[in-house]
Order: sequence, then C-alpha cells, then structure tokens
Amino acid sequence: MGLLSWLIAVPFLTMVAVLFVPDRHWRAIRWISLAGTGLGLVLTAVVTWRYWVESRADVEGFRTATQTTLYLVERFTWFEPLGIQYYLGIDGISVSMVILTALIIFCGVLASWNVETRTKEFFALLLLLVAGVFGVFLTYDLFLFFMFYELAVLPMYLLIGIWGTGPKEYAAMKLTIMLLAGSAFVLVGMLALFHESGLHTFDLQRLATVDYSDRFQWWFFPMIFVGFGVLGALFPFHTWSPDGHSSAPTAVSMLHAGVLMKLGGYGALRIAVYLLPEGAKDWGLFFMGLTTINILYGSFGAVMQKDLKYFTAYSSVSHCGFVLFGVATLNLMGFKGAVLQMFSHGIMTGLFFGLIGMVYGRTHTRVIPDMGGLAKVMPWLATCFYIAGLASLGLPGLAGFVAETHVFLGGFFGNPWSSTIATRVLTVITTLSIVVTAVYVLRGLAMAFQGPIKDPHFEELTDATITEKFATGILVATLLVAGLFPWLMIDLIEPSLYPFINRLQDVASAGLMGGS
Amino acid sequence: MIIATPELIVIATAFAILVSDLFMTENSRRALAPMAAIGLALGLVVTALFVPASGELLGGRFVMDPVAWWFKILFMLSGLIAVVLSMDTLDGRARVRHRGMGFRGEYYAILLSSIIGMMLIVSSRELATLFVSLEIATLPLFVLAAWRRDDPKSGEAGLKYVILGSLASAFIVYGFGILYGLAGSTRLDVIAAAVSGKYTPAFLLAVGLVLAGTGFKLTVVPFHLWAADVYQGAPTIVTAWLSVASKAAGLAFAFQILFGLFGAWVSQWGAMIALLAALTMTLGNLVAIVQQDIKRFMAFSAISQAGYFLLGFLGQGSEGVPAMLYYLIVYAVSNLAVFACIVWFENETGKENIDDYRGLSLTNPLMALGMMVALFSLAGIPPLSGFVGKFFLFSIASKAGYHWLVALAAVNSTISLYYYLRVVRQMYIEPADGEVPVPRRSPIIGTTLALLAIAIIALGVIPTVYERIHATTIAWLPTLPIL
Repeated sequence: MGLLSWLIAVPFLTMVAVLFVPDRHWRAIRWISLAGTGLGLVLTAVVTWRYWVESRADVEGFRTATQTTLYLVERFTWFEPLGIQYYLGIDGISVSMVILTALIIFCGVLASWNVETRTKEFFALLLLLVAGVFGVFLTYDLFLFFMFYELAVLPMYLLIGIWGTGPKEYAAMKLTIMLLAGSAFVLVGMLALFHESGLHTFDLQRLATVDYSDRFQWWFFPMIFVGFGVLGALFPFHTWSPDGHSSAPTAVSMLHAGVLMKLGGYGALRIAVYLLPEGAKDWGLFFMGLTTINILYGSFGAVMQKDLKYFTAYSSVSHCGFVLFGVATLNLMGFKGAVLQMFSHGIMTGLFFGLIGMVYGRTHTRVIPDMGGLAKVMPWLATCFYIAGLASLGLPGLAGFVAETHVFLGGFFGNPWSSTIATRVLTVITTLSIVVTAVYVLRGLAMAFQGPIKDPHFEELTDATITEKFATGILVATLLVAGLFPWLMIDLIEPSLYPFINRLQDVASAGLMGGS
Repeated sequence: MIIATPELIVIATAFAILVSDLFMTENSRRALAPMAAIGLALGLVVTALFVPASGELLGGRFVMDPVAWWFKILFMLSGLIAVVLSMDTLDGRARVRHRGMGFRGEYYAILLSSIIGMMLIVSSRELATLFVSLEIATLPLFVLAAWRRDDPKSGEAGLKYVILGSLASAFIVYGFGILYGLAGSTRLDVIAAAVSGKYTPAFLLAVGLVLAGTGFKLTVVPFHLWAADVYQGAPTIVTAWLSVASKAAGLAFAFQILFGLFGAWVSQWGAMIALLAALTMTLGNLVAIVQQDIKRFMAFSAISQAGYFLLGFLGQGSEGVPAMLYYLIVYAVSNLAVFACIVWFENETGKENIDDYRGLSLTNPLMALGMMVALFSLAGIPPLSGFVGKFFLFSIASKAGYHWLVALAAVNSTISLYYYLRVVRQMYIEPADGEVPVPRRSPIIGTTLALLAIAIIALGVIPTVYERIHATTIAWLPTLPIL
C-alpha cells in the first residue's frame, strides 16, 4: 500500500478502532481519534515533503505541459468491465488541500473535546467523513472521485441531525438533499464524458486527451460546474449553507466550511475547467457574474446577522464566491487566487467556527448584541477572533490578503474569450465587498469583545483551556505563515496550474499567465 | 438432465415438506423450515458447482444459459433468505403472536413452488411453457398474500392481487395468442424470426398486451396500482418475499419477452421504455414521501426501483443485461435486509409505522445499523452496492443518449434519499420515548441481517461478482435473433 492510500486508510482505520471501543470509555475514544488525525498530519508532512522533492526536478516541464504531472501514483483496475480504476496521485493543488484537511481535522478533534453524548458515533462519523475528503483530493479516477465525494457529504446528515442545535433536522435534511442533488448533475456530466470520449475509462488524465465537440462542452460545462458549485455555495444554490453551518456542532462546522466547501471549488477547477476548456470559455463570464452576486450577497447578508454562526456562514458564502470567481476568470492569476483562497478561507473559517464553539460553550449565547466586553475575560480567544477577522477582511500579512489580491488581479487581467471591460467592471464591483467585510467584521468583533462587560455572569468566565489554545494556536500560526511567506504556498501550487492554462489556450501567451 | 437438477431438487423438497407435514406433530413441525432451507441450499450448491451454464432439454424448449443460471442462483438465494426470515413468526418465537399464521407445511411448500415457477420462467423458450411457468410463479404469491385468514386486510390483499394478477395474465395470454397466430409456432426463436420487420397492427397489439402484463409484474407505472395495498395487507414475512419475488419474476419474464421475442424490435422500444422509466421512478418516489406505514412505503420504494431497472433495456448494447442482473442481486439483498428489520421489529413490537422506529439506534443498534446500510444502498449511496448498481444502469442510459433521463434518475435518487432518510432520522435522531418497546435479540434474523449488510458492502467494494456476471452474460444477447 502506498503513501497516499495510507492517508485515506488512517482515518478509516481509526474509525474502525473507535467503533470497537465501548461507549463508556469515551475518553479513550477522543484520544484514539486525536492520535489517528495526528498520524494523518504526520503522513501529510511526509507526502508534502516527497512531492516537493520529486516535483522540483520537473518544474520547468510543467510550463508547457497540457497534462497534470502526478506524483506518488498508485493505480490498479477495480471494476474492469467499466474501466474503473483505483487511481491515486497528487499535484500541487491536491497537496495544498491535503494540508488544509489534515490541519482542520486535527484541530476539529481538539475542538470537540467536550462532546460527551454518543461520543463513539460522533468521532466515527467525523473520521469517515475525513477519509472521504482525503479521497476526493487524491483521486484521479472520476468514479472514485464521485464515490469519495458522496462519502464526504453523507455523514454530515447524521452529524448535524444528532449533535446539532436549533432546527437541526431541517438544516441537516436541506443540506444533504441540496448537496446530493448537486452531485446528481455531476454524475450525469461524468457519465456523458465517459461515453462521449469513447475511451471506456474514467481516468481523468486520459479523458483530458479527448477533444470534445463544442456543443457537448457548451451543455455539460455548466452542468458540472453548477453541480460542484452547489457545494461551493454558488448563488443561488447556497441556501443550505447558512442553515447547515449554524445548526452544526463545532467540529462539523469547522470541517464543513473549512474543507468540504472546498471540494466544490476543487471539483469545478479539476474536472469542469480541466476537461471542458471550450465550455469554460463560453461560460466564464456568466459565472464571473454569478459569483459576483455571491460575493456581494454574502457580505451584505453577513452585515444583517445577529447570530455569530449565521454571520460567519454568510461571510463564508462571500469568501467561497472568491474561489469560484477566481476559477471563472480563466487565467493563471485567478486560478492561483482561487486555490490560495481555498486554503486561506479553510483555515480562517475553521478557526472562526472553532472559536465560536468555544465562546458559545462559555457564554451560552451566539447572539452578538448579547455579548460585550468578552476580551477582558477571555483575551486569548478574543485575540484569535481578531486575527481570523482581520484575515477575512484581507489585511496584508495574513493569508486572506494574498488570496484575494490574486483573485482581483486575475479578474483585472481578464482573458481573451470574455470582454475585458466586463471582467474589469465585475472585479471592481467585487472589491466593494472588502469594504462591506471590514464593516461587519470590525463591528461584530467590537460589539462582542469590546466595551463594558454586558452580563455580570460573564465575569466568571475563563479563557481558553490548554487544548483549545493548542487548536487555535495551530490555525493562527498557519494563517500568519501563509500570509507572511506567501511564496511557500504559491511555489507549491503555481506549477500545477500551468497545464490548466495550457489546455485553455492553444498557444501560450503571456496575457493568460497573468503577467507572471 | 443435469441442467434441470436445481428445479428437481426444489420440487422434491416441496413434496417432502408436504408429505412429512402430514405425519408430524405440532412440535416437530419446527423441522419444516430447516428442511426448506436445506433443500434450497442444496439446490444452490448444486447449481453453483455442477450445473453447466449452457445446455438444453426437450428440443430447446428448456434452456440453461448464463442469464438463466444467474437468475436461478438469485431465486434460490432470496428464497432461502425468505425462509429464514419466516421462521421466527411461524414457529411462534415472536413476542407478538400472529393469529392465523399456522399451516407451516403448506406455507413453505407454496413458497418453494413459487421459486420453481420462477426458475422455469428463465429457462422456457416457448410460449406455453413460459405462460405456465409464470402462473406457477405467481399463483402461490396470491395465496401467500392472503395467508393470514382472519385478517380482513390480508384477505383483501389476496383478492386484489388475484384479480389484478389474473387480468395481467389474461393480457399476456391474449398477446401470446395473437403472436401464435402470426407465426404459427409457440417457439420464441421461430416467432421472433417470423415477425421481425413486419410491424403489422396485430403485432403491435400483441406487443402492447404482453408489455402491459409484464409491466404489471414489474410494477411499472401505470400498472403498479396493486402493489401498495398488497404489500401492506400481506403478512410481513410474505411481503418480504413478494418485494423480491414479484420483481425478480417480472424481470425474468421481461428478459424473455423483450430480448427473446422482440429482440429485433430493440431500436423501436427505447423511447417507450424511457417514458415508462421516467414515469415509474418519479411517481413511485413522490408517493413514497407521504407514506406512514413502512410496508406501504417499501411498496412505493419498490415501484420507483422498477423504474431504474428499466434503464437497462435502453440502447442497443448488451451491457444492459449484466447491469440489470447485478442490480437485481443488489436490490434483492438490500430489500431483504430492510425486510429482515421490518419482520424483526414487527415480531417484537407488532407495529409497522415509520414513527414507531424512533430511537431504535439506542434500543437495538444492530437492527438500526443494518436498516440504515440497507436503506442507503437502496438510495444509491457509495460505497454500498446500490450505488454501483445504479451507476451501471445510469451508464447504459447515458450511452444510449438519454441524458435527460439520467438527469431525472439522478434527481430521483436524491428525492428517494429524502424519504429513506426519514426512516434513518426516526432511528437515529428522534429520541425514544418511554412507551417504545425494546426489540429483543433474535439470533436467526440478527445473523441474517448482519450477513446481508456485509453482502451489501462487499458487493459494492469487491468487484468479483459483477465481473463474473459481466464476463458470463455480456455475450448473451447476440445469440438471440437480433437483426
């Protein structure tokens, strides 16, 4: 078994181990889960290192390639009659997403340290979900991709339904149905690709060698893009997101907003744009327009919210809009911004939801106007909140800035297939969201943490425990590192994006590369 | 002669049960169920190990081919499971005593004879044999549906089933009559050759009549109306068998008719099949949403599943045959697993509303987990076998160019997930209130359920069975007279 299989197998085996521990030993269950996800983190480090070392040698070759170069490949035939393979591999985009996933789940387990009802089932489902997420990021067979994709979504139903708060059953059902309806469209597109190509394979790399007819691409690009877009909270298919996030338990919100929503952007780039470049050219501007609505709608929606979780959920809709906006720009700068935004938003939202859970656990309220002066009693949590908030409004030095700048620049460069005036106008409109974000983030944080202490019983509250400090510390450090040393991520991601660009154009031109 | 051994074994078992029932005391009748189970298991082993996957008897009127072989395996296997599931109820081990459920000897003998009928359907290559086999398969089902004599609902179910079923048989036999008139022979291959290319009004009438009858057996909309009442009214152990048997027999019959008889017509039926499939899956799904009774709910679930089966008949390729066979196996395993839970639950609590299942994950985790796995498989959630099976069927439709139908089917899977999740929600999310009786352990059903759940996962993850089906049946179609 190769390294990548282990990355999927470790959470899965941890789940099996957890299932065999009797429920009354819930402390042991927590530790096993932590050990499993910790091991995942170690494996991720090894994978990243090996990818780094092996890919350095060919990095120049990436520039002209029209095929993603894969490393640590594992493949064997699985369902022979339909040419379905077990096919794993990584490129820079996968690696960055795997790092994100491993970090978030590790911190997510720490943030769920106080789950005491049905602990076993909770951690088992969480780990199953993570195995699915790892699977999606590592696989290059469409069938396997789809299988992991659904595996990543479904445990969410029970996780929200059992351990959630508020109208949890409604939220869980809405989320599951909408996401699976989205994946239904992906399924249709995927089968169409399989038969249209005539290659009798679901191998992403081989499917990419086929020149599909323009008509086919025109029909199926939007189908696949929207199918994945549902999970990426594409307007108007985002409505599951605020309900789902606000009802979900802490670790689930972290994982969902932090990682799962990235599967949408990832799929849109990896499958829709990669396999159907002509369709992307036809529809790019349309989706830029749609995601502009996403970005603005999300940020204005966040201004209206009084509940901290709704507030963060709407801001997620806005920030995930940047991911899809970046993908729709169809140039290197925009793609880079999209992937960076996936990473930075993942960490940032993971941190946000983790912190909200911790604050809620103490104050028993999520309504912002009911809070006030909390920074005096919980300085650590407040500081982390500020850092996450500043990252989300794009303060230079934090991860969000790098990502959003790339997306804006990408929108500004435009591409040869859409009117440059139009992309620039849309980009200018989206920049408006920075101001709105600043308004809601600063106002919200000030209301919750500054000023006099509103409720006398807040005086007795304590700051973060050691586990909580550890969990939030890791995420804050990641935000800082990614913000201060952006080239670390960019060097990892950028070369793997060249093939996407090369597929979009027949002759490489400097314009598409976004001036790099 | 060896190719007919499985049938002979099952027939012998049925007779042995009937005869020994005469001489048994009430107490020793407990041995009847193991007798039936052993007979079927023996038939299975013999078929799997010794019966060749090709051969013919009676001048080609009785044929064993790979498709028939797989069908027979499936019939005996699901029959075996049905026998095992019936044991607790009939032997009085259930906490809730079922009145009027005696006569174990007849029960098992009748069950076995319906299996024999089905096994004969897939081997018949001639109109008269085919029709008689179909009747042998379905008449016992009518009787079983009315098995609980002093329950009016059961009687009503039996009556409804027998009237509508006879109507369907009448359609079929009328259609057969016309076909005989057109071709002057009752042999499928002769008729197929005689009518191919000659789409006279008489032929179209015959096709319409036969397909309507087949649609009834398969519960295809608009011929589905009997299913809900019969499923609900029949004793639960019978419903379990019915849900698999009527579908499997219907599909076996449809194979004979659509491929064997109208094979040359294959390019014509696509649009019609697509329309029926779309109607069936959509209507079945939408009506299932509002059901409160779990047996009725499963009836509409079975109707919508019939819509998915139809996808396999689309297109010209022969991939449809292995895909449908595989999905039938998956469907049988998953559906029997759900019914294992329903039978178990009803045996212990006497209740059959979906709401009664609340809190089951805490009171009986094994039952709840098995039920969840089976329901998710029916909904087509990976990596369970239901997903893989549906995927293959969708692929057939996609290849034939019916993208709209694949989209509709995929959306329908999502809708179906909504109602399957309703049950999961009752079991896992709703808290149990004090009045809900706790189901006790049942070693027989519990073990069966566990094995079925493992099979559901294994069939989806381990490709061996599908590859075997594919390898043996992919070449099946071209041997038929397709022009």
